Amino acid sequence: MNQKNSPKPVILCVDDEVSVLQSLRIALRNGLGDTYFYEIAESADEAIEILIDLEGKKVPVVAIISDWLMPEMKGDEFLINVHKKYPQIVKIMITGQADKSAIERAKTYANLYDCVSKPWSDRILIETIKSALEQ
Amino acid sequence: MPSNNSKGNILIVDDTPENLRLLVGVLNEKGYQTRPVPHGKLALSAAKLNPPDLILLDILMPEMDGYEVCIQLKADDKTKQIPVIFLTAVNEVLDKVKAFAVGGVDYITKPFQVEEVLARVETHLALVAAHKSLAAKNEELAAKNIELDSTLQQLKNTQEELIQSAKMAALGQLIAGIAHEINNPLSAITSSVANIAAFWSDRLLKYPQFLQKLSPLHQEYFIYLLKQINQKTPSLTSREERKLRSSLAAQIETCEIENASELASLLAIVGIKDIEPLLPLLRDPESEYILETAYQFANVQTSIRSITTAAERARKVVFALKKYARYDNTGNKISLQITDGIDTILTLYNNQLKQNITVIKNYQDWLPSIWCYPDELNQVWTNIIHNALQAMDYRGTLTIEVKEEDGNIKASFTDSGKGIPPEIMPKIFQPFFTTKPPGEGSGLGLDIVQKIIDKHGGKIEVESVPGKTTFTIFLPLKTL
Repeated sequence: MNQKNSPKPVILCVDDEVSVLQSLRIALRNGLGDTYFYEIAESADEAIEILIDLEGKKVPVVAIISDWLMPEMKGDEFLINVHKKYPQIVKIMITGQADKSAIERAKTYANLYDCVSKPWSDRILIETIKSALEQ
Repeated sequence: MPSNNSKGNILIVDDTPENLRLLVGVLNEKGYQTRPVPHGKLALSAAKLNPPDLILLDILMPEMDGYEVCIQLKADDKTKQIPVIFLTAVNEVLDKVKAFAVGGVDYITKPFQVEEVLARVETHLALVAAHKSLAAKNEELAAKNIELDSTLQQLKNTQEELIQSAKMAALGQLIAGIAHEINNPLSAITSSVANIAAFWSDRLLKYPQFLQKLSPLHQEYFIYLLKQINQKTPSLTSREERKLRSSLAAQIETCEIENASELASLLAIVGIKDIEPLLPLLRDPESEYILETAYQFANVQTSIRSITTAAERARKVVFALKKYARYDNTGNKISLQITDGIDTILTLYNNQLKQNITVIKNYQDWLPSIWCYPDELNQVWTNIIHNALQAMDYRGTLTIEVKEEDGNIKASFTDSGKGIPPEIMPKIFQPFFTTKPPGEGSGLGLDIVQKIIDKHGGKIEVESVPGKTTFTIFLPLKTL
């Protein structure tokens, strides 16, 4: 753990199912190592809380990986909202149920980088995030 | 109907030329067209050749009398509709009964009184005209009726198609929801298995070596950590976990140990709540290596738990689906507790219910079963619950009460949504009425509900004020 002063960049995962979040976080850490810090949120509201909290602590958030079908706020709407305030964050959607128009909306209005389908392959997911972060 | 612009075409049959002349003169003067003929045979051929509007027919004639002429006129399709007025001398013995029996409509006695002749002729021609126009109107109506029948049939077909497509749309929506319901646990399972496999191939072989390198004291700490993993409270919410992490980080910082947030996140996942027993380890430079290994073990346990939870979740969805589909195609009533069906729909709607909807179920114990069409009742519950969720914008309380009351099963669904405005209340069961934006609702949901409940001999009632809308369904225990 080398960065003692500057905090590690955060990758934020949003899904309404805890078991999905847990396995996603393990997979990300296995694939991307401890260069990043992995936060999880069970709803769009919670994710926004985390973003505001981290912004206050000056912790950079580099990527958001969000489910699409969630109660309350759908993934595309959430990412569009986030994009207005945090355009620099890379946005990736992960969904078991690809709603094409929602993906299109997210691409247009949230600069969505890509959409990974559920169940995801760890390799594809990690490659997608890596290539997104290299941009 | 009078033809050739004249007031009517009248055939006059009499063997006495003076009578013919008199009648022709009187009637022509009044604008009638007349055809005088002196005997029965000629009358028959004239009537067939060009059917008149009215026939004045003398009774007493040589060769063929008026009765016989009338009988033959009435026997022929071409002439049977033409009214016949008999002409008879006052001193002749008129057999009125026979006159009417052979088909005459009236009689005039000789010597003629002009006014009487005109009055009777006019009356019967008017009757003919009325009769003809009535017949024409009838024909027109019959045609309209056939047209309406076919329009109605087309409408019925269209409605069937619409109902079918509304059902298909509801089914599509349900399937999309279920795809998500199955895909989510499947993702957790797939990913967890990958995580365990990665642990097996990357970490486990290094484990004996790792253990050997540890000092006896560190081995003790490691075993302590493994025990903590074992006792870890299952499934903290992400909020709870963050809270634990920041409390751990604060504890670590107080002890002036570096890398507090990194250590805190590992400890939280391992399931440590109090760092006190671990302080000596945390101060040791080797602590991160030991903690990282413990964290890897914790991940295996997390993965196992995720798989268990996800598999259970998928099992429930599949079970609900099987129930939803079980009865289709039988077309027969089945004896069943209706709460089974309601619970099935609630399971299938789980992803829309779980976060901001509180579902309160008040089911009476020992509810009797009823004979019903379960797949159709499922549509009722689907529609009612779906409407309730939409009315609440997916936030609020849904109370479902099921009990036996006065020979019925009474199921009420109360939502805490905005309510139904009184002005639209009378329309909600009308087909095609919808408050949803175009393309979203067919407006057939409650119409289908109503039809299904009718089929069960039940009824549906609705009461609504803002914040409390209740749909109550009564299904009779005894069905016909």
